[in-house]
Amino acid sequence: MASFFVRYRNLLVLLAILMAQIVGLAVQVRRINNTGRSSFDPNDGPGVRLIRLWAEAVVSPFERGIHGSRLGVEYIWNDYFDLRNVRHQNQELEQTIARLQLEQASLLEDARQGQRLQALLGFQEKYIYSTVAAQDIGSSGSAQSHVFYIDKGAKDGLKPDMAVITPDGIVGKVRDVFPHTSQVLAVNDQSSGAGVILETTRIRGILRGNVDGQLMIVGILADERIKPGERVLTAGGDLIFPRGLPVGVVEKVVRDPERDAFIDVMVKPAAHLDQLDEVLVITSTQPRFSDQEQKDIETSEEVKGAEAQAIKDQLKASQIMAEHLPGLIEPNVPADQQPLNDSTPPNPVLRPPLPLHPDRFSPGDAPTPDSGPGSEPATGPAGKPAAKPTQPATPQQPVQSAPQRNP
Amino acid sequence: MSLLGADSRRDMEIHRYPLIVYGLVPLTALVLQAWLPRPLGKYAWFDLPLVVTVYFALGRRSPIQGTLMGAAMGIFEDALSRRAIGVNGIAKTAVGFLAASVGIRIDVENFTIRLMLNFLLSLLSSAIYLFVYRILLGLELEWSWLTQLYIAIGNSAIALILFPLLDRLQLRD
Repeated sequence: MASFFVRYRNLLVLLAILMAQIVGLAVQVRRINNTGRSSFDPNDGPGVRLIRLWAEAVVSPFERGIHGSRLGVEYIWNDYFDLRNVRHQNQELEQTIARLQLEQASLLEDARQGQRLQALLGFQEKYIYSTVAAQDIGSSGSAQSHVFYIDKGAKDGLKPDMAVITPDGIVGKVRDVFPHTSQVLAVNDQSSGAGVILETTRIRGILRGNVDGQLMIVGILADERIKPGERVLTAGGDLIFPRGLPVGVVEKVVRDPERDAFIDVMVKPAAHLDQLDEVLVITSTQPRFSDQEQKDIETSEEVKGAEAQAIKDQLKASQIMAEHLPGLIEPNVPADQQPLNDSTPPNPVLRPPLPLHPDRFSPGDAPTPDSGPGSEPATGPAGKPAAKPTQPATPQQPVQSAPQRNP
Repeated sequence: MSLLGADSRRDMEIHRYPLIVYGLVPLTALVLQAWLPRPLGKYAWFDLPLVVTVYFALGRRSPIQGTLMGAAMGIFEDALSRRAIGVNGIAKTAVGFLAASVGIRIDVENFTIRLMLNFLLSLLSSAIYLFVYRILLGLELEWSWLTQLYIAIGNSAIALILFPLLDRLQLRD
């Protein structure tokens, strides 16, 4: 018996290790639905979680070290050596900020109005309230699993199922949280899922990854309106991602190989999923503006107030100028008798002097069309043309309107 | 390739390394495998833990050691991924055992044979992974053999550089 174990010890060790792993897999994978398909339980048991914790604890310090070294080199290069065109860029950015602040003032008013209307309708829109910035420090290293690790964990307030985004677009969700690091499941993983909506056609679908790590929207009926270039946004129904975050743009539409009436929409991600560096974890969403946004509002109000003040100053200057202009405002004359309010023409139309020997060519003696050829010219009682007054008896209508003051 | 008796070849050509090499090289492979996909993105077509497993299994010529190293590396990779722990473990356990068993019987000092073995064992590891995931566990998994082919080629290319470097760390009598 002993010789049997000695002779086949290699094979026995192999079988023992394989069997132990198969039993371990059987514990993790359970048959949980009626269709007979197995399903991997995403909630790790205590033993499995311990193994993951150990593995993460071994790898993450080295990953942090490598990442920190790289950032240090980049920092030295970017902040001390590669400073060409910085002054010019700074000027451009300052101009952009000034322009955006003005635009923001009007947009915030719209947002406030939208919030008020939503409150009236009883609709609670979730706004991003607080985020935690984190660095991507490593990946799973497996082509089949698109997960990565960030350098923030439970001690930074992170919890599972929090959304992970970049300013460009959504990235994934926190899957597992360790004390100082977290595992993030990227949106291009095969097992991920996010509710999305096409911006113009308003068609909803589920976003997931395929075997090549590409994003695709599955489960939508064939629709000719879907064209490449259309923007894809989060729909907000998955309780992970707030509504309206950019996801990407439609790259192409392909037929679902398994279902004839359905199509798969390939999406080009807005965020650079292959080369992530810094990400934001949404730790809280609230139906109101965040502190930072409140500050922005105040800044915008100040900017807007300054703009309004500038307009007032312009008006004031025009008033002062008008007061100093002679003839427009007489300080000793009542307001209703000011020259500005006088409707008489400042330059009345002068009539030509009366001719000594008027004839038919004289002004006023020319036959009018309605007098007709047989009609008599307008003559006086003695057969002479009527005398024309040199000045009108009543004030004439002004030829030119009185100067208007700019309100 | 010359076929020799198992015991004679094993006794003659067991590679020995300083103890620190057994710890540092696999750890470095695991750390780099976790970190390199960040800068390389989707072009990270390699499996460093597999290459290291094959190297030590071929060099040590001990199926038990190859099995244990493969299992440890695979479980470690599984633990870092979000998938069930054991799928990679089973694949690399089998690869470690096979590499050591082959190493006993054939001359693995030849670079061409090493590269061919790396290529074939990489594909075998992928096949076992797929088998365990789809057949044994009955889980759905999209699969691209083209990607696995790239990974196998990448592993061979890395082995071409890494194996001579690691050979320098051997203890010589």
